[in-house]
Amino acid sequence: MGSTGQLPRALHPLAWWGWAIGLAVAASMTTNPLLLALVLGVVWLVVLARRSDSPWARAFRIYVALAVVIVVVRVVLHVLVGFKWGDHLLFRLPSVGLPEWAAGINLLGPVYLEGWLAALVEGLKLGTLVIAIGGANALANPKRLLRSLPNALYEVGTAVVVSVSVAPQLAQSVQRVLRARLLRGESGLGLRALAQVALPVLQDTLDRSLMLAAAMESRGYGSSRGSRPARRRLTGSLTLLGLVLLAFGMYGVLDPLGTTGDWGVPILAVGVAMSVAGMAYGGRELRVTRYRSDPWRAAETLTVLSGLAAAAGTAVSRSIAPDLLVMPLQPIAAPGLPVLAALGITLAALPAFVTPRTPSSHRAQAPVLRVSGELSEVAG
Amino acid sequence: MSSATSAPRAIALRPRSAVAVAVATVAGLMAFCWPLLVRDGSVLAENTMAPLILGALMPVVLAVVLFEISEGGLDPKAIAMLGVLAAIGAAIRPLGAGTAGIETVFFLLILGGRVFGAGFGFVLGATTLFGSALFTGGVGPWLPYQMIGAAIVGLLAGLLPPVRGRAELLMLAAYGAVSGLLYGLLMNLSFWPYSLGYKTEISFVVGDSVLENLHRFVVFEVTTSLGWDLVRGLTNVVLVLVTGPAILATLRRAARKAAFAGRGASHSDPRNLSTSDRRSPGAP
Repeated sequence: MGSTGQLPRALHPLAWWGWAIGLAVAASMTTNPLLLALVLGVVWLVVLARRSDSPWARAFRIYVALAVVIVVVRVVLHVLVGFKWGDHLLFRLPSVGLPEWAAGINLLGPVYLEGWLAALVEGLKLGTLVIAIGGANALANPKRLLRSLPNALYEVGTAVVVSVSVAPQLAQSVQRVLRARLLRGESGLGLRALAQVALPVLQDTLDRSLMLAAAMESRGYGSSRGSRPARRRLTGSLTLLGLVLLAFGMYGVLDPLGTTGDWGVPILAVGVAMSVAGMAYGGRELRVTRYRSDPWRAAETLTVLSGLAAAAGTAVSRSIAPDLLVMPLQPIAAPGLPVLAALGITLAALPAFVTPRTPSSHRAQAPVLRVSGELSEVAG
Repeated sequence: MSSATSAPRAIALRPRSAVAVAVATVAGLMAFCWPLLVRDGSVLAENTMAPLILGALMPVVLAVVLFEISEGGLDPKAIAMLGVLAAIGAAIRPLGAGTAGIETVFFLLILGGRVFGAGFGFVLGATTLFGSALFTGGVGPWLPYQMIGAAIVGLLAGLLPPVRGRAELLMLAAYGAVSGLLYGLLMNLSFWPYSLGYKTEISFVVGDSVLENLHRFVVFEVTTSLGWDLVRGLTNVVLVLVTGPAILATLRRAARKAAFAGRGASHSDPRNLSTSDRRSPGAP
């Protein structure tokens, strides 16, 4: 509450997502390895500078591994089934033609530098995209992210909050059942023991859910709804019609001939707008007060803007000199450096320096866990 | 109350939400099958980002459906039940995820949807995958696809015919096999042009006939990921057969204890006044 911008605090999760999506969009527009390497470096720098010691922050290395797998798979698939093209022969493998029922594809065959490089940079692009998303996953606190769900999804959001905070308690439940088994002198392992542990844990959890529901009801959960029929009818027709238009527009965008013609995108946009408006209107009916709502300060705005700068810089570069954004392969040459794109992406490294440091404790989780704390008091 | 299949649904689907679920299912299937639908001259045809664009639309679709289902208030017992089942799902999902297609969460969606009904199954599928992604840091463009896929799996499990005993178990196992396989196929189909790129012999070709693209997709599927999808189906069969009797009984006992009032059917609707009384006999 009284913290200034420079005291350690966790940034609003949506800010990190905005930043990462900006970088992902920038990466998706280019196959220039210099720009991709720049995006990777920026994500890496910011994640190292601002990640917390939370479990989700550790997921970043999984994304890095996934990105490596993507690049390797792309390259291997190119050698295996790819369409090989180019002038510089790398190596020659025996070509295997498959019969007609297998779409008559050719396996292996000679591999050329150009085609191989194209597969490599395409894989690199996807891998960079995945790592940018991994950066958001590592930096944004998922539990705080849940509180940014729109009001209209309050009830389903509550279910997710319950699930996220109950999951760690399952471990306690398992330990309790195991201890009870030990006290009874049963220590066998194996499938039967698994069933003897899993079922009591399941029953325990289900009973707990009933207690949680009782606790929620006794605190007046969901009782503040004074719904007016006219309002509900309006909300319902807005969202339903919006949904139908959205689905229709989606089909129209995919297959414009014979359905919507050029109207696919407008219909889609109207559908989305109506759905969102309906949900916003319906969500206003619910009066929910937020405990310790996340502040949105200058650092958050700056973070989102820096991500936006990466996307915008790359987009402007693409409209000025589209050739600079792709890896030159015909003929092969060293990739150039589009200045605006590079500048925009470099700007996205700003959050590593100007945002407040991330607090090292798990303090930010406390409010969410409180529900389960009360629950175990009820249970005890 | 003895027959749980005719017990009040934990989350009742009103006509309005049923329509929303149907439209969302169609929209979801379109997003999955977009490589077969897309034509030359379409906005998305030249764009490798199509799954991402559709993936950005899917959250809106999901949000509208979940809003429609929960509009008018959900029974707190249903919410708590959703929460703990999704927590169990999120906890057991990492046990198998990633290794040879072993997917340990689907059987829970199937059994949950079976016992608590189609509406509950739909929401359970979506919340389980969402919670698990938050838990493991797996949020990304694939998440909306996974959520809608799992939601459809849970929904259909709740719509299966009301048989009991051994026949029920076999039916659920067969459904597990089919849904596991189809889920994998649809996931692969939606990311097929994206994961492979355009310049291979088993790549997606914009504007080719549906059959030719389908043919190439089948070859792609068989050569790359059919093994995984088969294992996923098999995992479902084994888990449903082994754990089904005990878990079904446990869930039904919990459903009886909870005595869901079907409050999802809104209190202001006079037709539902009789069932919307939360202090019904049997409630704690």
